[in-house]
Amino acid sequence: MRRARLLGRTAGLSGLLALSGTALAHGASLGGRDASAADVPTWLVLLTGGAVVGASFLLASFATDRAFVRALHEWRYPITLPRAPLAWLGRALGLAALAVVVVGGLLGPDDPTQNAAILFVWVGWWAGLVMVAYLAGDVWHTVDPARTVARALPDGRWTLPAGVGAWPSVAALLALVFVEVVSPLADDPTLLVAAVGGYLLLSLAGAAAVGADWFERVDPVARVFRTYGRVAPLRRTEDGLALCLPGAALVDATLSDGDVAFVIALLWGTTFDGLVATPGWADAAAPVLDAGVPARALYLGTLVAGFLAFYAAYRGAARATRRTAPTYAAAGAVARRFAASLLPIAAGYHLAHYLDYFLGLSPSLASAAVAPLSPEPLVLVVPGWFEVVALFAVLLGHVLAVAVAHAVAFDTFPGRMQAVRSQYPLTAVMVCYTVVSLWIVSQPSATPPGL
Amino acid sequence: MIDQHAPDDAPTCDRCGDAFPTADLLALHRGHAHDALSEDERAAFEAAREADTESLRLFRLQALGALVLLYFGFLMAYAVVT
Repeated sequence: MRRARLLGRTAGLSGLLALSGTALAHGASLGGRDASAADVPTWLVLLTGGAVVGASFLLASFATDRAFVRALHEWRYPITLPRAPLAWLGRALGLAALAVVVVGGLLGPDDPTQNAAILFVWVGWWAGLVMVAYLAGDVWHTVDPARTVARALPDGRWTLPAGVGAWPSVAALLALVFVEVVSPLADDPTLLVAAVGGYLLLSLAGAAAVGADWFERVDPVARVFRTYGRVAPLRRTEDGLALCLPGAALVDATLSDGDVAFVIALLWGTTFDGLVATPGWADAAAPVLDAGVPARALYLGTLVAGFLAFYAAYRGAARATRRTAPTYAAAGAVARRFAASLLPIAAGYHLAHYLDYFLGLSPSLASAAVAPLSPEPLVLVVPGWFEVVALFAVLLGHVLAVAVAHAVAFDTFPGRMQAVRSQYPLTAVMVCYTVVSLWIVSQPSATPPGL
Repeated sequence: MIDQHAPDDAPTCDRCGDAFPTADLLALHRGHAHDALSEDERAAFEAAREADTESLRLFRLQALGALVLLYFGFLMAYAVVT
């Protein structure tokens, strides 16, 4: 919804641009990737998507040479970067961007398409920097201004209890998704600056209380970027950085139960954000809202219920793996082992959701960086065929997920046939999820009702 | 080793304590995870790997059949619909 509102408005304002007619049409049907360009009915697109994921599982089962599978995910090419200067540069850029957000947000125009805070946070950070995280690596770790300032603080006074693991950040992530969906943070620069400032203060207070554990275990934003960063074809090694195949770092990722829930929350959060902007949701929510249920209660209820349903589906698949493989590995252990393979799906979905939005508004973003107080509402007109890129991003994410799950299975189970069979339940879940997410991506975007 | 829930009489690796649903899987595990196999263990590993290869070969044939069906099914679906 945010992207539709912002781009739609920018497109409307950019009447002076030569192709504004197309821009307007595109802005209005931003979510309308109903594949009409190719004249294929939606049901067939969804069915094809599900079949591609299923077929990639079948194809992966032809790669059963252990040495080959291992060689693929262990391949790396060490690269050397001047890390200290880059770190200083990143921190300086982070602080400068924060200054632009605060100053531009408060003193710049109120119009969201011409406000540096809105453009920096939603276009530059939530769309652009997250893409950088899964395409290149977690840069936020260095850029995060809260972390930069917190470096000057003394170590935390208290320590978090060991038992809580990553669960605080799971709750915090769901809370963040809720606030993002129900509040006008995407339209109101003053509110956005207040939210950024509040989050900064909260982070500093957290860092003062529990030290670096705040960013490692509680802060959902740091964890989102770190989690996405695992998908990137760049990984940390003992002596610096190395290139690897995309997703290769996921094969030997060791996750806790909380991490598993966080991965699921990330996946569901992105899905929920897209779901509430579909006409189908508007139709389904209308009678509930008419019956007198408060809108926020409905959104919160759906958010939590959906998360629990996704989590239950994944745990159910992990339990079913014990039978299909067969294996005596505990269901929880299977769930922890395979959860990282879901991350390429979340990344593909994010790319589908935000790539045209990011490209479309990147001229505005550049203008905001140069002139924070008076950015030009420039918009790049993304051609219509670009909608196909979104569908491919979703599919590519799923195919990569299947490949990672395949490598994990071969790493975990001694029998090759056992490794193939262990993936039946998870593949079934992935096929269902592909169909659901392609359906959401293919829907025209509507304003969520009741907010 | 990862957490396990196994019945007491399950075939169990004498080196690391991992339990397996079948003796063949235990033999495969020994061959992949441990060195210095005895003569018998080596023979059991080879036999289990042979059986594994055999069932994989069958699975691949089925997978190939499924892929061909999928391909032509969709080819026809697209031909009819568009």
